[in-house]
Amino acid sequence: MDPSEVEFLAEKEMVTIIPNFSLDKVYLIGGELGPFNPGLPVDVPLWLAINLKQRQKCRIVPPEWMDVEKLEVIREQERKEDTFTPIPSPYYMELTKLLLNHASDNIPKADEIRTLVKDTWDTRIAKLRLSADSFVSQQEVHAKLDNLTLMEINTIGTFFTDSLNNLFKIRANLQPRGESTMSQEY
Amino acid sequence: MFLSDFRKDFFDVIVNQRVALLVASDIDALCACKILQALFHCDHVQYTLIPVSGWQDLETAFLEHKEQFKYFVLINCGANVDLLETLQPEDDSIFFICDTHRPVDVINVYNDSQIKLLIKQDDDLGVPSYDDIFRDDEDDDEEGNEDDSGNESDDGQEPSGKRRKFEGEAVERRIERRRERREWEARRKEILFDYEQYEYHGTSSAIIMFELAWVMSKDSKDMLWWAIVGLTDQWVQDKITNIKYVTDVATLQRHVSRHSHSNEDEENLLSIDCLRISFEFDLRLALYQHWSLYESICNSSYTSSYFKIWSIHGQKKLQEFLADMGLPLKQVKQKFNSMDISIKENLREVIEESSNKFGMKDIRIQTFSVHFGFKNKFLAADIVYAAGALLENTEKEDSKTDNFIKALDCLSRSNLDKLHDGIEKAKKKLIAIQQTVASCICTNLIISQGPFLYCYLMEGSPDVKMFSRPMSLSLLSKCLLKAFICSTKNKRCRLLPLIMAAPLDLEKGTVIVVGIPPESESSDKKNFFGRAFEKAAESTSSRTLHDHFDMSIIELKTEDRSKFLDALITLLS
Repeated sequence: MDPSEVEFLAEKEMVTIIPNFSLDKVYLIGGELGPFNPGLPVDVPLWLAINLKQRQKCRIVPPEWMDVEKLEVIREQERKEDTFTPIPSPYYMELTKLLLNHASDNIPKADEIRTLVKDTWDTRIAKLRLSADSFVSQQEVHAKLDNLTLMEINTIGTFFTDSLNNLFKIRANLQPRGESTMSQEY
Repeated sequence: MFLSDFRKDFFDVIVNQRVALLVASDIDALCACKILQALFHCDHVQYTLIPVSGWQDLETAFLEHKEQFKYFVLINCGANVDLLETLQPEDDSIFFICDTHRPVDVINVYNDSQIKLLIKQDDDLGVPSYDDIFRDDEDDDEEGNEDDSGNESDDGQEPSGKRRKFEGEAVERRIERRRERREWEARRKEILFDYEQYEYHGTSSAIIMFELAWVMSKDSKDMLWWAIVGLTDQWVQDKITNIKYVTDVATLQRHVSRHSHSNEDEENLLSIDCLRISFEFDLRLALYQHWSLYESICNSSYTSSYFKIWSIHGQKKLQEFLADMGLPLKQVKQKFNSMDISIKENLREVIEESSNKFGMKDIRIQTFSVHFGFKNKFLAADIVYAAGALLENTEKEDSKTDNFIKALDCLSRSNLDKLHDGIEKAKKKLIAIQQTVASCICTNLIISQGPFLYCYLMEGSPDVKMFSRPMSLSLLSKCLLKAFICSTKNKRCRLLPLIMAAPLDLEKGTVIVVGIPPESESSDKKNFFGRAFEKAAESTSSRTLHDHFDMSIIELKTEDRSKFLDALITLLS
């Protein structure tokens, strides 16, 4: 998958906004949205929130987990554990990036949040790499990883499966060569 | 007609229509255009942006687009001339004009159907009242009818004595009415002459567009910054009086505090990437934070004319000035960002103290600065110089439209490389201006012609190509006038206005002529050269082109130069 496709899927997540216009309920294929009243918070998908923010029609309320103390706790937990810890949102990386790029004036301490999320991401990717490395070196057949998000899986997904295929081909070629050497010796 | 509610009568009208946006080529217009474009983006209004640099451009653009558009928005063009007569539009075309040029043509003011002026009515306009200028022509017909009906009814019924008396009275009435009409016409001519004699500028269009955005609650810090740049452009080009500038700065200062208090407090610090605007009482040295302090002092017209930098005596005075402040030459000639922090800390106060001693009382001026990211800090005047240099760039053979788009782009935050390019070009322009000023003063190229001073840039002078553009030439003439006033001993010459001419196109043999009002502390910046040029051109039938939106800038054939000047001298003395 392309990272932009993963971002596209992430844009379906709901966030809270405070609009400054009024509009009746909107009926879309995926569900209904609204009604919008100025000053009253309403839940909308991320793609609509970003569009309205760019047109200066709303103010975005940061999600609950996008808070400095909570993210610090998560980061510490991630560093302590060997396995992946559960994280508040399956699309945390995309949400952080989109919200901090377009609505950083609505999010307090935006720079610290960016650093904390990046730290958590780095730790998780490091664990993923370690686990992939041990999977290959110990020639394991089956692995189970909990609490991974789609974006993290996507970073090594295609590469990992392609390289495992190539490894299998190389290993498969090793067997017959063993037999042919025997025949040569003969 | 003047619009009172900009939101209802302007924006709500065009929000569902396709609009043609005709924008003049100056920085204030660019800033107003940027604000309007942002508002259009928010509401998905379809528009076409057409840069125009003169009346001919405006007419061509209008002819091209009049089939497709019903609504035209003109920014910084079109108010000071009878627009309907110039463009001959259809009856359903509507023009919204947001222009700083004054006086507004009376036909534009009193046309109720097609011309809508986005100008605040209390903006110091002095428009003559309707009855003083317009008068129904029915009076004439009535006069004729009355006489006829009088004659008819008297026909053959009355005795001849009474008829003769009636006729006598009718004739008297006619003569009386004609006399009244002649008096009224003479008064009308006088009123119009007084009204249209002097050209000046009103509130910046960028500020008007910003206030429209504020009324719609769609104002953002970016728009506020553009409004600030528009106002600063008017000040840099000396188009508005000091009092007006200070008043407008106070208005914008209120908006700045509103924007900065609503977002920031101790616990919730804003991201470093957000735009921060702050009010500064900063030095009047051009581009000093992007240059070395020494270069900036040498190339800003205020300081260089006080010190008379072109003379040896002036150089010595400058060294004294720097020594008085305790700034080592090595530090001062370095790039500003690399200067010692200990020197930079109190720089403004130190410079102000020393400049007061040396006679420069207004080295500090109220202005604003913007700050975003870790290393981007700009004063409003820096942006004005950079955008101006990009707009009138003569280095490459780009078309005027390309330069317009480049200058428009450099106003956005995301095009910092263009902005830095503009700053480099602006530095070259300022250096060229100073060198030209120095050479003109030293070779006494400025001659007093009686009612005005006159200077002609020879073809072979360096950088003369740069001064074939109207804005650059105006800037040069203002610097030259300041320098001349400081260097001349003749007290009378100090109160004279200046006319400056420079070669425009060598193949066609034209020169560009600019007239600026005299320089004084409390000048009201009113320029009478527009009308003077027109009259002089008429009386000598010189081949002139009054193409620029500012009436005081014209093009002239080189051969007609001397007779044009003679006519001007006779006209003004």
